[in-house]
Amino acid sequence: MTAAYEAMFRQALRIRLAEEKIAEIYPSDKIQSPVHLSIGQEPHTAALIASLAPGDQLYTTYRSHAAYLAKGGDMRLMFAELYGKASGISKGKAGSMHLCSPEHGLMGCSAIVAATISHAVGAGYAFQLLGRKDIVVSLTGDGSTEEGVFHECLNFAALRKLPVLFVIENNGLAIHAHLAGRQAFSLEKLTAAYGIPYFLSPDGLDMPAVAAQTAKIAAAVRGGAGPAVYEIRACRYMQHVGVAQDFDKGYRDRAEFEAWRARDPLVREKALIEKFRPELDREIAAAVDFAEKAPFPACEEVLKDVF
Amino acid sequence: MKTMTYREAIARSMRGALEKNPRSIIYGLGVTDFTGIFGTTLGLEKEFGSGRVFDTPLSEDAMTGFAVGAALNGLYPIHIHIRADFMLLAMNQLVNSIAKYKYMYGGLFELPLLVRAVIGRSWGQGAQHSQSLQALLSHVPGLTVVMPASAQSVLDTYEYAATKARFPVISLEHRLLYDYSFNLDAGARPADPFTSRLVREGRHVTVAATSVMVADAVNAAKFVSEKAGIEAEVIDLHCLTRPDSKLLLDSVRKTGRLIVADAGWAPFGVCAEISRLVATSDPGLLKAPVQEIAQAHSPCPTAKTLENHFYPDMGTVADAICRLASGRKDHGVELPSADYKRRLYKEFKGPF
Ligand SMILES: Cc1ncc(C[n+]2csc(CCOP(=O)(O)OP(=O)(O)O)c2C)c(N)n1
Ligand SMILES: [Mg+2]
Repeated sequence: MTAAYEAMFRQALRIRLAEEKIAEIYPSDKIQSPVHLSIGQEPHTAALIASLAPGDQLYTTYRSHAAYLAKGGDMRLMFAELYGKASGISKGKAGSMHLCSPEHGLMGCSAIVAATISHAVGAGYAFQLLGRKDIVVSLTGDGSTEEGVFHECLNFAALRKLPVLFVIENNGLAIHAHLAGRQAFSLEKLTAAYGIPYFLSPDGLDMPAVAAQTAKIAAAVRGGAGPAVYEIRACRYMQHVGVAQDFDKGYRDRAEFEAWRARDPLVREKALIEKFRPELDREIAAAVDFAEKAPFPACEEVLKDVF
Repeated sequence: MKTMTYREAIARSMRGALEKNPRSIIYGLGVTDFTGIFGTTLGLEKEFGSGRVFDTPLSEDAMTGFAVGAALNGLYPIHIHIRADFMLLAMNQLVNSIAKYKYMYGGLFELPLLVRAVIGRSWGQGAQHSQSLQALLSHVPGLTVVMPASAQSVLDTYEYAATKARFPVISLEHRLLYDYSFNLDAGARPADPFTSRLVREGRHVTVAATSVMVADAVNAAKFVSEKAGIEAEVIDLHCLTRPDSKLLLDSVRKTGRLIVADAGWAPFGVCAEISRLVATSDPGLLKAPVQEIAQAHSPCPTAKTLENHFYPDMGTVADAICRLASGRKDHGVELPSADYKRRLYKEFKGPF
């Protein structure tokens, strides 16, 4: 077992435990913000981000805890943000759906599906124009590929050979709607129509595979090959928004989830879990404590930073 | 006194932005073609390179979000829409991203950028090539909306935007103004151009106007001064999201009479907003009800006969000033003839 694998594993476990803590706290109503958990999808996020350079930027969605933590965001500031506290990363004005960490290159998370894809393209253009050697990663769900702007972005990124990696996290669902009922196109063929190389990781739980694939693609994008599209298949264990499972609602198949979970390293690899758990539990407890004790924003804050 | 057309002022400002801010970029549909956005971007690609000045695919939504990522990384994007109507495809980015970016992240980011959008008018531009959407945009906290009404306003505002401002600006330029010549340095020049301007002093009636209606108001004020000795004070609101309320209220305190002349629709618009400002600050200043001058509350028709009813002009403003000053509809002042107005207006001949 390599150190790189252990580091990825630790990061993925850190995200899962933090989100499980969110689920535990949620019924108390101390977190008054919709939460979209990544549970089941953290392994690929940890592997993806572990294979990027620190200067690479990331633009993603409301399902943002995993990306925030993996990119280096401070867990205490995240919990304080979820609690709506003044010590939160954005002083309690962002909540769960708009985490960011500019110093680590997480430049924004939007609650509007697909809205950040074009931001990544603009950032890629800036990198190219200013001669910066980093790349930009746009991380969005399968549903975002149905928005017209995704096509506009592929077109412009291809036209200008921008250093943008479009990662599509395909969990087969957009809220409660399955892919087959939403998409008449194949992502691979769509990507090919723009002359953009397409890559696939059929199993997002396979962290070494995702890490190796990402490293390869990122190197090409960094080297000036232009944009790439990278689809990672995954399984969302929880309901779309909220902290429960919803297999009893009849829209999805429990057996499919069981099959994913049976392969889940964050369930199976007991020795590694035991190795990291105590330390991670302490970090999470400290973060929750920080959030609990932090002050709420003063009311003057409501009109600050508007213009 | 030196004069300059509105078009020339914009063209100079675009060049100035590229020269004075090495991080500025200018892009949009038609920016590099031989017409160069009505002559305001001609030659810039050649001089500054296609990295900084470029045409785009027909992708208003993506190219507006593009400005976000570019601005976050130190560029100063200037995105141009040859018709303001096309900007509607980018409302998601303008309203959901750009207007929120600073606030939603607790002040961690700033988005200095400029969106220029041209309001079309006349010669049958019709319902989808003519809209004045300042109210729609100004409604949203986080957007700074300007409507430059003179060459000097263009020069001052665009230079400040490209070199000093740290916030997103949407500028609505009026196509009719492009061919107008203006005296430079005429009137007040506020140090921070993002506010209103006193354009003409008067003691009987205050006219608060936007965009092309400022020119109409000035022409009307001159006309009624000559014909009837009525002196109208004209305020160019200019920055709709930061009107100079002191300037406005002081003027209304002096005149007691207010006309709001806006190049848009009245309901929920600038007329409503300026009336709100007075009503909620000091309604006792008014000696008569506010008069609103705006476009007919309909989409813009194409037939000239209908268009004439749709758009107010300097005659509409002159009439309103006389009515308000005399307190009578039949004020007896002879209004400018069609011929007089024809001589005044450089009529726009299409297409484009
Ligand atoms: C433009 C827009 N339309 C609809 C919604 C409502 N909505 C929120 S999440 C979501 C599903 C998105 O699915 P996907 O992109 O696959 O991401 P996932 O939630 O699966 O991570 C929808 C439709 C939205 N937030 N934004
Ligand atoms: Mg999905």
